[in-house]
Amino acid sequence: MRLKGFVDTSFVDWDGKIVSTVFVPTCNLRCPFCFNHQLILHPEKYPDVPESAVTDFLKRNGDFVDGVCVSGGEPTTARGLKRFCQDIVSLGFKVKLDTNGTNPGALIELVSEGLVNYVAMDVKAPPDEKKYGLATGTRSPKVLESVKESVSFLIESGVDHEFRTTVVPSIHSDDDVEEIAKWLRGSRLYVLQKFQPERAWDRRLRKFHSQSDSEMERLASVASRHLGRVKWRGR
Amino acid sequence: MTDIALFVKVSRGDIVKWDRSKIVEALLRETKIAPKMAELISREVERTIVNSKIKFITAPLIREVVNEKLIEHGLEEERKQHTRLGLPIYDVEQMMVYKNKENANVPHGPESTNLVLAESIKKQYALLRVFTPGIAAAHEKGDLHLHNLGMIDRPYCSGNSLEYIKRFGLNLPNAISIAKPPKHPEVLIGQMIKFSAALQGVFSGAIGWDAVNLFFSPFLAGIDDKQMEQLAQMLIFEFAQQAVARGGQSIFSDLNLYWEVPKHFRDVPAVGPGGAFTGNDYEDYVEESRRFASALFRVYLQGDAFGRPFFFPKPQVHITEDFFSSEGYEDFLRLVAETSSEMGNPYYVFDRKGTAKISECCRLSFKLEKSDFEDAKSPWKMRYSAVQNVTINLPRIAYEASGDDAKLFELLGERMRLVAEAHRLKRDFVSSLLGLRGSGPLGLLAMDLDGEPYFRMRRATFLFGMLGLNEMVQYHLGKELHESDEALKFGLKVIAFMKKEAEALGEVYGMRFVLEQTPAESTAYRLAALDLKHYNGKANGVVKGNARSGDVYYTNSTYLNVGVRMSPIERVKKEGLFHPLIEAGSLSHIWIGEARPNPDSISNFVVKTFKNTMNDQIAFSPEFTCCLDCGRRSQMEVKKQ
Repeated sequence: MRLKGFVDTSFVDWDGKIVSTVFVPTCNLRCPFCFNHQLILHPEKYPDVPESAVTDFLKRNGDFVDGVCVSGGEPTTARGLKRFCQDIVSLGFKVKLDTNGTNPGALIELVSEGLVNYVAMDVKAPPDEKKYGLATGTRSPKVLESVKESVSFLIESGVDHEFRTTVVPSIHSDDDVEEIAKWLRGSRLYVLQKFQPERAWDRRLRKFHSQSDSEMERLASVASRHLGRVKWRGR
Repeated sequence: MTDIALFVKVSRGDIVKWDRSKIVEALLRETKIAPKMAELISREVERTIVNSKIKFITAPLIREVVNEKLIEHGLEEERKQHTRLGLPIYDVEQMMVYKNKENANVPHGPESTNLVLAESIKKQYALLRVFTPGIAAAHEKGDLHLHNLGMIDRPYCSGNSLEYIKRFGLNLPNAISIAKPPKHPEVLIGQMIKFSAALQGVFSGAIGWDAVNLFFSPFLAGIDDKQMEQLAQMLIFEFAQQAVARGGQSIFSDLNLYWEVPKHFRDVPAVGPGGAFTGNDYEDYVEESRRFASALFRVYLQGDAFGRPFFFPKPQVHITEDFFSSEGYEDFLRLVAETSSEMGNPYYVFDRKGTAKISECCRLSFKLEKSDFEDAKSPWKMRYSAVQNVTINLPRIAYEASGDDAKLFELLGERMRLVAEAHRLKRDFVSSLLGLRGSGPLGLLAMDLDGEPYFRMRRATFLFGMLGLNEMVQYHLGKELHESDEALKFGLKVIAFMKKEAEALGEVYGMRFVLEQTPAESTAYRLAALDLKHYNGKANGVVKGNARSGDVYYTNSTYLNVGVRMSPIERVKKEGLFHPLIEAGSLSHIWIGEARPNPDSISNFVVKTFKNTMNDQIAFSPEFTCCLDCGRRSQMEVKKQ
């Protein structure tokens, strides 16, 4: 699998675990608030990370590392994802998949075959075609359809998971957060993430401020009306 | 006697008529000069001064003229004995008016200027009178570094027991008033902090307190959560705000905390209010002890009024095998880990396989020995000290050895013998002060309330520090410690050699010599800068920092290159290999380039470090900054969920 980034030891990518995180440089969405867009637009600027660099590190440090977080970009757009997950699992490590949920087929396959132990899926907007299109920079109605399928699958599958939304001041209202929460009823964990304006893909968003802690607390309490566990993260 | 119309302003504050015999008297009193020579010199001085036709002169200037004559006669030793210590007026003015750039811990103010001025004179005194010229020269050239020379008349750091206060109250020599043993927890806090401030006046380094939450516990029976929180706040804020003490510096203080009751204290009779035994053993207070430990960490987690971390007192959490079988350890560890994530201040001290340690400052800890466990039955006896720390400049040895292994170890042995001698001289000097007992400058340490002096020289430790192992190996083998197994192995060989040598020298001297990771960052700069100057062709390839601007340093002690991005896992493992060799304590800093690491992931890392490595102590440094102007924290303004 083509990898463009490797954080050998992360304390933030999987709650409670010590993980190695890898990044794939391709994505099928164009979210205006994306902060990893340089990786997608200019992958050539980043050195390739050979899979062996990852597996060598894991072999040396199996006494500390619990698992590997596959992030991006969108991992399900990368060729060789399944085989990579198989390799990690066969080395005795757990796998966490970060995904935007637009490829339910791949998601279902990985989960069903026991190649993924935890899924963190982005939910970019309420289940409304226009709003989802705006938040993902796409026009295809298929995007929302696929996302819906992934949401249902994760809630029903029994695989450990979290849904997460990066809250962008000009894109998401309180009502939007509430609508998303309603949609995600039955999920294990919902996480609201602070917006990072300085790294936003769409320059027009960079003039906005990130939310304060108390705003995040308030949004989390809005979502809590419909969900069991809600958290927020951010600097 | 010549009658000369010249007046002298003397040091004691008077103006007297010129009297040449005063020069002779001073020379005979202060030096070992022959009387005839003293007479000759005094005449020469008189001639010089008379010829200058001045009408008024100060005693210090006369002394300088005498010194100059001593040199002319080749009497170098006598000149040293007769010299005057002090500073040029320009330097004094700079110090009084402008902020001290070298030590960020010292705030600027009249008190701190007093400290700096006094230290500079005592440092001159130490190098001239306490140590031999050979040792003084080795320090000045940068072969080694004698720490805290400005506090030559004090031991270095101390580990203390609250039991002493609980048993004897605050009964300090020369005090205007004496306090009985405390009856209330608030009073115990007050006495603990006042005693710490008093100790800071007789030690140059850190003031550590053992098993603080445990020893508080008999005072906490029946106290509700709100009061508990209040007491925890009081303890931390009062310590943290002692910047009004010596030279405006905070008390460099450590609180050693335990979740379980350490084995050696379990069946020890507890001392309660009023200095009386409560009739219970410490094991019976485990609940109060735990509640207080948790309350302390809730305060650490909140930070000060602006939400900033408390730098002092440093919390040192001890982790033992028993920790993992103690009730509620997971929640406690999570609370401590959350404090690491938000504030970065907890230190995790790993006491494996029945060893116990008291941590004193950022790196120094004492391993308790057999005789100490005997002391543990009367814990007020548990007070320890390291008298001095001397650091060896390791890279310089590599430059001088030019790649020759045998030469390298021979030079290292030589330096260590010099350090041992420096320790003996410091011990003798401090012992002579202690010998004056109550009437001497260290009267507080001679205080004898339990059948022996507070300071127990027979239990004292002397530290061999090391600087720049990484650069030593880099020059010697061409690879840094993290770059090859061969380099790492050679590094271990050097430290193992140092440990063995220190023990052997300890036998010879009858003193306890152990290795310590040198904590002083300014030493890392001083020695690197000196090497850059005197070993230019060799040092400039290995010093870290910016050789062009002169902002250079050597890597601390046995650390791996701090500038290299390396997995925290590999750092704790590799650095941990050195820790069993460094008895007086070692530490790995875990730099986390992520804001607000997940507390459960931190706990996870702590547990694995305990179980899977030999690392002695770790502390986390998550990414955040504090604004010194507005006091607010930024980048990581995340509160717990």
